[in-house]
Amino acid sequence: MADTIQLASASTRAATLEARGLGRAFGDITAVDGVDIQIVPGEIHALVGLNGAGKTTLMRLLLGMVHADAGTATVRGHEVAACTPDDWARVGHLIETPFAYPELTVTENIVAAARLHLLTREEAERAAAETVTALALTPWAGRRARVLSLGNRQRLGLACALAHRPSVLVLDEPTNALDPRGVLVVRRALRDAAEHGAAVLVSSHHLDEVARIAHRITVMHRGVVVGHLDPGGVDVERRFFDMVYAAEPDLTEGVQ
Amino acid sequence: MRAALAVELLKMRRSRVVAVATTILSLLMPVLAAGFMVAYIAGGDSQLTAKVSTMVTGSAWSDYLGLMGQLLSVGALLAVGVVVCWVFGREYSDGTIGSLYALPVSRTRIAWAKGLLVLGWGLAASVLAAVIAVPIGLVIGLDGPAGVGDIARAVAIPATVAVLTTLLALPLALVASVGRGYLPGVGALLGIVVLTQIVTIVGAGAWFPWAAPGLWSGMGGADLASTVTPIQLTLPVLVGGLGLWATATWWQRAEVV
Repeated sequence: MADTIQLASASTRAATLEARGLGRAFGDITAVDGVDIQIVPGEIHALVGLNGAGKTTLMRLLLGMVHADAGTATVRGHEVAACTPDDWARVGHLIETPFAYPELTVTENIVAAARLHLLTREEAERAAAETVTALALTPWAGRRARVLSLGNRQRLGLACALAHRPSVLVLDEPTNALDPRGVLVVRRALRDAAEHGAAVLVSSHHLDEVARIAHRITVMHRGVVVGHLDPGGVDVERRFFDMVYAAEPDLTEGVQ
Repeated sequence: MRAALAVELLKMRRSRVVAVATTILSLLMPVLAAGFMVAYIAGGDSQLTAKVSTMVTGSAWSDYLGLMGQLLSVGALLAVGVVVCWVFGREYSDGTIGSLYALPVSRTRIAWAKGLLVLGWGLAASVLAAVIAVPIGLVIGLDGPAGVGDIARAVAIPATVAVLTTLLALPLALVASVGRGYLPGVGALLGIVVLTQIVTIVGAGAWFPWAAPGLWSGMGGADLASTVTPIQLTLPVLVGGLGLWATATWWQRAEVV
């Protein structure tokens, strides 16, 4: 359950990750349209929405993976296009395909990811050992990524995003392939990151899971932000669908 | 750059594609050249001997290593070309390209690291091929002097051909990147091989960069080899440099789609 006191204090802090009027269309499809969002240090901010709501595109815009047609995305106060290596060194992300090169072992993948975040070889090896333990990957540490299950590959991707102890975390559905134990491991890892001051943006379809870990929940539909949910409130799912139906009345008949 | 080089080197060291290509370049090429020389020395009226007789004119070290240079001009292009396509295209085929965004190490540096490592690998594999060719040449009993100086001079031909051919394979990185996978690159590689044959037949010769190493090593005969100019032999350097620069630029600007 989210801590409302922490949420209140978080809202007064400067955003580490921010979108202002952010928009992007692909041909005649508007994926993200005028989105404003702020993620502050120590906050787990969840994005929820149906498939095609624009969550992944919004995350890609915030990470510079796609270019904005309108608005601005900033990381640590710098526009994405002008971010310095020091800014990116403090960012960790997992968007769709994890950092999991099949020919490398689990440990080698994490060391590689950490080195690309400018850790020295010794620091990267130490960080990899700690992250393998934290994400319960020890039995597979010496195995090549190609033999991992989908869930373990996802945990490896998360380990690669976390190993360098980022202050900004952007994770696209990090638990969608995990078993219940894996979900608990990831939940603990995200809480740890936030408690250490990281600004965490996470998307998910699992409303119950989101309500457990998020301090703030933003609902997206058809590329726009249609509202916010109180993680501590009752019947999060009902309120989520109320927002979606309100944004698109025609959908109500088809879904209900 | 150091981190990018370390990570990319690890990926190449663990790669089966690179291991197979290294074996083809450094072992299969000298063995093939030696096999053809054995057929030539044995003489007779076999089809193989007749074919080899159009490629070599004697059984000296220079003939043997010149033949290896000819084989490398095609074999190295195929082997290095596949490695180039895999090294760059696999990030798209495997979906790992997204992991290379939002990093303190720019994608420009990662692309240059990949290209420079492929270049270094091609150089190492071709030198290894030339080194392996020497004991094999001693075993098959070639004519003429086999002094260190003679062999070193003769070894320079296949090594140079392999290096030039490696450079000529680098533009495939751009095709594999823009095509977002290694298969478009492999398709372009096959296209280059076919186009080189056509261009050579119609007489454009060594001004077509991909034909220059083969012609210089004697694939079109000794007369044609002597007409290849130093400027024509430097064109592959330009092609490789431009190819890598264009790839790095594209990597920095391209979106994840």
